[in-house]
Amino acid sequence: MARKRRSSKNKKSQLPLALGGGGAVLLLAIIAAVVMKPSENREDSSDARFRVADYRYDASRLTGNSYTLTGRVENIETLGNDRMVAVSLPNNPQERLPLLVRSGVTGRVNLTRGDTFTFHVVCRNGHDSQGGEVKGIMVVEKVEAE
Amino acid sequence: MKSTVFYMLLCGGLLAHPLAAQGLGNPQPSQGTPQAQGADTPRIGQSYVDTQGGETPNPQVLGMEMPLLDPASNTMTYNGAKIDVGNNELVRARFEKYLSQNPDDSTESKRYRKKMNALLKLTQKSARSKREVGSETLLKIGTGLYEMNEYEGDAGQASSLASAIASALSAQYANRARSQQNEALEKEIDKLVSKTNQLESRNTGKGTPGGKSKDGNGQKTVSNTYLISHNKAKVSKMTASGVKNDADSIAALELSKINFQSTIVSMLMQRRFNHALIGAQSYRHIFRDGDTTLKLDSESQAAKLFEGGVGLPPTVNTMATIAANMRRDVDQNMEAVDNMLAQNKLGAATQSLIQAVALGEYMESVATFPVEGRRRISEYWTLRKKALPALNARDYGALEEIAAKMKELDVDFDDSMLTSYCAGRKAQSDLHLRNAAKALKAGDDDRFNEEITKAGSIWPKNPNLVKGREQLEKLDNQDPVRDEFRTLIARQEYRTVYNEQDKFEVVALDPELKQQYKEAITVIGTIDGMLEQLDVIARQDAVMGACMAYETLLERGEQDPRFKADSRYRDALNRFALAAHDFTQALEKARDCEKRREYGSALANYYRAQCLYPNSTAAGAGARRLTEVILQAQF
Repeated sequence: MARKRRSSKNKKSQLPLALGGGGAVLLLAIIAAVVMKPSENREDSSDARFRVADYRYDASRLTGNSYTLTGRVENIETLGNDRMVAVSLPNNPQERLPLLVRSGVTGRVNLTRGDTFTFHVVCRNGHDSQGGEVKGIMVVEKVEAE
Repeated sequence: MKSTVFYMLLCGGLLAHPLAAQGLGNPQPSQGTPQAQGADTPRIGQSYVDTQGGETPNPQVLGMEMPLLDPASNTMTYNGAKIDVGNNELVRARFEKYLSQNPDDSTESKRYRKKMNALLKLTQKSARSKREVGSETLLKIGTGLYEMNEYEGDAGQASSLASAIASALSAQYANRARSQQNEALEKEIDKLVSKTNQLESRNTGKGTPGGKSKDGNGQKTVSNTYLISHNKAKVSKMTASGVKNDADSIAALELSKINFQSTIVSMLMQRRFNHALIGAQSYRHIFRDGDTTLKLDSESQAAKLFEGGVGLPPTVNTMATIAANMRRDVDQNMEAVDNMLAQNKLGAATQSLIQAVALGEYMESVATFPVEGRRRISEYWTLRKKALPALNARDYGALEEIAAKMKELDVDFDDSMLTSYCAGRKAQSDLHLRNAAKALKAGDDDRFNEEITKAGSIWPKNPNLVKGREQLEKLDNQDPVRDEFRTLIARQEYRTVYNEQDKFEVVALDPELKQQYKEAITVIGTIDGMLEQLDVIARQDAVMGACMAYETLLERGEQDPRFKADSRYRDALNRFALAAHDFTQALEKARDCEKRREYGSALANYYRAQCLYPNSTAAGAGARRLTEVILQAQF
């Protein structure tokens, strides 16, 4: 008897707490899902959030993401008017990030080795001439001189 | 001629017993006239000619064979044996004994030599002071000689000479007694003759007045006649006695001279030149008749030697001259030895010392030669002594070493001929060994045996012969080794072959396995050489050096699969991979991503590898390859 009584009293007193805790967990789950869900929409990211090491680890996870990255051009490889640029970011000086710069993207900006530029990039997947996948390539959409 | 005399003396001193010289001029009962004994019977003092053919024996003198020197070959013939004068056991032993002795400069020896020099001066005094036997000078000489006998180094020579002098004097005294006896006999004979004459006069009445008046019967006359006869017989007897005394004196004098001359010759033969000189110069004090002729047979070789060889008559004075000259030669030789030692001319010094020792071992200059000089010459002499046995044994290696050492010791030593000879013989032996090796490869056993025999006979101690023998022994056991080798090659365990080269090199004789053997040795040698270089580079730069080492090893491993089979290669690859962890991770990640067509990540990883090691060919090639793909792709 004493046990039942004590149990009924506890239920009454813990009900508001349980409701409040569950709501908080639900709220956190929604926030996390929003944050962690791969965005299919274009979304600007800052330099501070981007790490080349993450990109090296798994670029496909970043597919669809847009970034605005400021970095120094270390090397340029050309094929026709298209260029593959190796950029070093201020927060990762020992790394090189490969960026695909199609012709006409730079506008009036002249990409030169050793200079720093701001690149608006999107991580994309493509395909080669045989139809094979080419995953996780940072494609530059716009370049601004610093 | 001088050298002949020298060697005669040397050999006389070395080989002849001194007493043998005492047979000088003594008639031998068994020898008669040449006619009686036949033409081929040897006589004293005459050379013996063997009419039966063969080599002509040496001449004999003083009852013994005379050693003869052949200057052309520097050999001496004695008792049928040929002796190399400069290198025979007897000379060597004598000379080595001398070299091992300490200089004889003791107080006793100094005193002895002082007395010797005093005696030499004493004998040079004029012998005309007194004409009687046993002069004061002679007594002093005899006394001095007996005193010198106390010194052990004299070996009783002085005593012997003194005894000879005493014997000669005894003979002289005996002669004098006989002479006095003859004088008394002469007087007695004169008296008897005078008395006899008187008696005869009485008998005939001549010169004896009143004879008849005393004795009318003639009895007195008969009595005188007997007395006269008696006196005549007595005179005859006394005359005969006097003649006998004269004959005895002459014989005793001759015998005495012969004995004394024998002693002097004996001293000379023993190279006791001081004693010989004292004896020769004392001779005129003892025998005052002025006859110094040596009692030699005029046909003897010794007489011819003195007359024709030395150019002097065979007299006691000749022996004195020879002894004096020998003394001077010995001193000059020793002076030359000192000079040549000062100039480091050990060869010439040794030769001079050998001559000095052989000629005048008992001379002061030789006996007191310093120990340091003896040591140096002994060192050179030992080397020289070893040279001939080494040459006889055809040990050309040892011979070359000896020649080199002798050249160090002697500035005048010319080793060119010796070294050329050795080099030629060694090359000849090696050439036969080479031919033997060819024959072995060709499977020609007969030729192999023939060539090996030739090589061994030319140079028995050829070190390549020993190596060849070892190889042959290995060949005998090659079958199990060959099987093991084949197994190792099949497993690509080249390092085991490399580590046990000595064991497996024998398989290289097999043309079939030779290439595999060389391949195993070459591969492992290349790996080891490369690893040594890479270790050095890795030590110089911990990060980039390790990256370079890793990539180089990786590339060589890709090029040659035999590298990957080597344990040491694999260990090194792992070690460098650990040291260049970031670089290897980046490359591996790049390759992994490239396989999964994650070209963005792959290119970034190649870039990362390039940052760590800009000269990386793998990273550069990967980056170029992916850049081309990406630039041609559609997005």
